[in-house]
Amino acid sequence: MFIHLDEVYYTYNIDMPFETKALKNINLEIQKGEFIGLIGHTGCGKTTLIQHFNGLLTPTSGKVYVEGIDTSKKGIDLKSIRRKVGLVFQYPENQLFEETVYKEVAFGPKKFGLPEDKIENRVREALKMVDLDYNLYAERSPFSLSGGEMRRVALASILSIRPEMLVLDEPTANLDPQSRNKILSEIKAIHNNFGITIVLVSHNMEKIAEMVDRLLVMHKGEIIMDSSPRDIFANHANDLLQVGLGLPQVTQCMYELKERGKKVYTGVLTVDEAAKEILSRMKSPTVSRK
Amino acid sequence: MKISRNISFGQYIPRDSLIHNLDPRVKILSCLVMIISLFLITQFWGYLILCSFTLGGIIISQIHPKFIFQGLRNILFIIIFTLIIHLFMTEGEVLYQVSFLKITKEGLINGLLISFRLFILILVTYLLTLTTSPISLTDGIERLLSFFRFMGIPAHEIAMMMTIALRFIPTLLEETEKIMKAQISRGADFDSGNIFERAKSLIPLLIPLFVNAFRRADELAIAMEARCYRGGEGRTNYRELKIRKTDILTFAFTIIITFVTSIMF
Ligand SMILES: Nc1ncnc2c1ncn2[C@@H]1O[C@H](COP(=O)(O)OP(=O)(O)O)[C@@H](O)[C@H]1O
Ligand SMILES: [Mg+2]
Repeated sequence: MFIHLDEVYYTYNIDMPFETKALKNINLEIQKGEFIGLIGHTGCGKTTLIQHFNGLLTPTSGKVYVEGIDTSKKGIDLKSIRRKVGLVFQYPENQLFEETVYKEVAFGPKKFGLPEDKIENRVREALKMVDLDYNLYAERSPFSLSGGEMRRVALASILSIRPEMLVLDEPTANLDPQSRNKILSEIKAIHNNFGITIVLVSHNMEKIAEMVDRLLVMHKGEIIMDSSPRDIFANHANDLLQVGLGLPQVTQCMYELKERGKKVYTGVLTVDEAAKEILSRMKSPTVSRK
Repeated sequence: MKISRNISFGQYIPRDSLIHNLDPRVKILSCLVMIISLFLITQFWGYLILCSFTLGGIIISQIHPKFIFQGLRNILFIIIFTLIIHLFMTEGEVLYQVSFLKITKEGLINGLLISFRLFILILVTYLLTLTTSPISLTDGIERLLSFFRFMGIPAHEIAMMMTIALRFIPTLLEETEKIMKAQISRGADFDSGNIFERAKSLIPLLIPLFVNAFRRADELAIAMEARCYRGGEGRTNYRELKIRKTDILTFAFTIIITFVTSIMF
């Protein structure tokens, strides 16, 4: 087990006039190699939760274990936890500060004590993972790049640490559809090629559901669902809509067919699957007549 | 390093109380009068009266004393420091002596009085900022400053700058916290090493902070211009400040109390 949360509660500004209970009774286990989507409304506590994964926050009550190490224990090596769990914050392009893309991506490995001669390799590798050409970009200033490129550089600057787990907070926020798809497919490739455990945070179900193996749905500081996207759409679509989270368009379409009395299976993730499902129902008249 | 996003000292706490609903000008002036009289008073009893007066105000404001004293904790250090300096640095009748350090009677009395003065001073300003939203505070300051317009004081511009600064303090703190966390996740270390290393470690924090602040200032300026903002001359206010009976009564009461205590003590 890679990460384990045991009855975690987190409260901001405890005992202050603006106290916020951001996490309530979170129990969660994440295994190595999983690809997880974390979905919930803005303000439901997603960002707060993922900051527990690398010890930036420690629970108000309850325990967080990263590879068996209790993160709230005094004197533990938090740096080694942060090397294992790479956290990419929302709008990571706002954290860029170096003169060149090379230095930006090299910052992490350097800080974690990698010898100078190995750093260049890391930078090349990381830039490749986000599909930026080393020769074209390494010497450019990160501030001269486009928004999508800046975000990929920021992502590379975490990847260069070679984390075992990558947590991305709304990596596609504020990007145009093309850059969004590009980033998502890069993330998918990173998972497939390197087996890195990934947690993808989003407030939007679209696109995420078809990528991940496991979906965590948060609502008001609690995890209310934890299952495969297929299972959630097939059996809990109603509950999702009830807490105000939309379904992906195809699933929504199937759901409405079902609402109108067509006995279709709503656990579909892609347009192809939906088409197959509808066609198969049309071919068996006994079902569709009912 | 921990950045607290809640600047608990002086953060406005909305309530519906007599003090909250006072005109900000009355509150600001009352505060000023209190502070001036604090510096005129030299005797313990005078401070006690003003202190009770302020505590009365806190009770009326319906703000839980917990919040006020929580804020005071941040200042406690300064008060204790003042007390210690006075204890040891004042010449006079020696009460107690350890080698070259001596505590004098005058030092003790002065130190206690000045700490008490400081305490009330902070209490009064807390009461002002806890019960007045930043917007009405700057409104009040603008109106008060405009009395001095004939001296060439740009009241509106000063108030506008204050409003903007106040508006962006929480944003900047929030952003500082976020960038710090992001850089810590990338292996940055803000609280170890000697002073030079620490200063250097701030670069990954300060550069993004400045870049973002300038970008935001730029956007704000454009947004203001897009709404035809062009300075103070002839601008009207959405919320007109009006002096009501409670304002006059409160102000008169404050003046009387401070005046009498200042003269008597
Ligand atoms: N640093 C903070 N200080 C105080 N409250 C916070 C802070 N960060 C988040 N919150 C509050 O905690 C709740 C959860 O926030 P967050 O984890 O950022 O949600 P999400 O990432 O799902 O949008 C929100 O109500 C938010 O206002
Ligand atoms: Mg968030």
